[in-house]
Amino acid sequence: MAETPSSPVCPRCRSATTSTRSTSPVAGVWTVFGCDTCFYTWRSTEPAENTDPDKYPEVFRLNPADFAKLPEVPTIPPLRQKTR
Amino acid sequence: MRCYKDFREFLSVLEQQGQLLRIKDEVKFEPDLAAAACALAQISDGVPAILFDRIAGCADAQVAMNVHGSWPNHALALGMDKEASLRDQFFEFVRRFKLFPGELERVAAAPWQEVTVDNGINLFELLPLFRLNRGDGGYYIDKACIISRDPDDWDNDDVENVGVYRLMVKGPNRLGIQPVPQHDIAIHIGHAEARGEDLHIAISISNEPIILLMGATPLLYTQLEYKMAAVMQGAPYKVVKTAKGLDVPWGSEYVLEGRVLARQRELEGPFGEFPGYYSGGHRYPVIEIDRVSHRKNPIFESVYVGRPWTELDFLQAMTTSAPIFIQLNKMFPEVVAVNALYTHGLVVIVSTRVRYGGFAKSVGMGVLTTPHGLGYAKFVIVVDEDVDPFNLNQVMWAMSVRANPAGDVVIIPNLAENLLDPAGEPNGMAHKMIIDATTPRAPDRRGDYGEVLDTPEQTDAWRAKLLSLIKAMKR
Repeated sequence: MAETPSSPVCPRCRSATTSTRSTSPVAGVWTVFGCDTCFYTWRSTEPAENTDPDKYPEVFRLNPADFAKLPEVPTIPPLRQKTR
Repeated sequence: MRCYKDFREFLSVLEQQGQLLRIKDEVKFEPDLAAAACALAQISDGVPAILFDRIAGCADAQVAMNVHGSWPNHALALGMDKEASLRDQFFEFVRRFKLFPGELERVAAAPWQEVTVDNGINLFELLPLFRLNRGDGGYYIDKACIISRDPDDWDNDDVENVGVYRLMVKGPNRLGIQPVPQHDIAIHIGHAEARGEDLHIAISISNEPIILLMGATPLLYTQLEYKMAAVMQGAPYKVVKTAKGLDVPWGSEYVLEGRVLARQRELEGPFGEFPGYYSGGHRYPVIEIDRVSHRKNPIFESVYVGRPWTELDFLQAMTTSAPIFIQLNKMFPEVVAVNALYTHGLVVIVSTRVRYGGFAKSVGMGVLTTPHGLGYAKFVIVVDEDVDPFNLNQVMWAMSVRANPAGDVVIIPNLAENLLDPAGEPNGMAHKMIIDATTPRAPDRRGDYGEVLDTPEQTDAWRAKLLSLIKAMKR
């Protein structure tokens, strides 16, 4: 049985906040990882451009510092005044 | 017309009709599932659905794709002959649409309640999730019905909503959802957020083929999708109530129950979207899942979304064309048919009788004022009633000889356009164009039109005879 690799750095945003989401029901075939910063998900058996931070396509990379600038959809409405 | 009781019954009919392909070789989640579904769409518009049940690393996962992804499968979904023409499918869809509303049939229990998980939910273990396109931010549930009620009008069944929205699986029990502001669920989320409350929802995956089509149809806010599904299948629509009071299709394979978290937004995306481009990342609402139920040996359904055409284009074909036709027809009874098959109706072709010069341009402007036309229709081509708008050879012929750009092209500047249309400038705005490809009528006397060719006598009879001879020859 192959060893489950320890959680790697996120290929998309390079955060260390990643964890194992699941392992293959047939042991040792694949592991799915997820990032708790940018929510990227990847499987250990996907092509290198989806699993290796250095090969992850430039155009899809994300910088956590930019997240707050993304558009908020739908807009959050004001809280209604509670009537008593 | 036919009422399929669940997803499995429809798959077995597809199989009997030679419209379901089982892949016997072992495949990998990535890239095989998306690649196969993408390749299937490139082959023709008559291809079968595809079922994978030998996926590397899985003991018993089953994934079905391209279930609606061809005209024969679309016809079978409607309970029609698999060889029904597009035109026939359109007119039958419209006929049933006008019978709204049908009825709900409420029952106490459903097969999807066979297995229930309330604790330690991990969607990555419970669902066979995988990547569709390489730039997608994660694994998506992209062919599910999301059911919600209006927290300000909770007991009103008519404003309950069944919609199809993409769901990004972000954590073991955490999803992102894309609710377009114009869609009904955005109203429910808005009301819940104004109250400062979470919004209870149910997510139903893998159903008989009608409800998904209805979830993709732009119905009015007060038109319940189940009541439209009932007239589409010619029988009351069978649902089961969840503990929170949401009506869920009886025939689902999986049902996820959870809450849209009040007043939270979080990074979602990108995802390869219907225009054939990735949508960017946005801060969208977040869902927490509290319970997962499923049938024994469940089958997971997914749709490949890529550069058109893909299965997605079949899902938003008649479901887009029929409402535009019905709305336009109220204003212009002369309108014969509407083809809004292209990229969710960014291009619309209308066939109409022309009463007098300039009439066709008014019909074109009418398309731009329908609810769907407001945010989508960017090119409108208007053709005469003798042109089948679903036959592009005929439409191109009409444009070739019945349009003169000098007087037949109208461009209206700066109208509203869908945010996902990458050509918008700025995003959400575009010029819109009407091409009048109808024959000029008095007092418009442009051109030099002699007698148009008709067909030799007996052509229709010969077509019917030849079709049956060709069919017999192929047996």
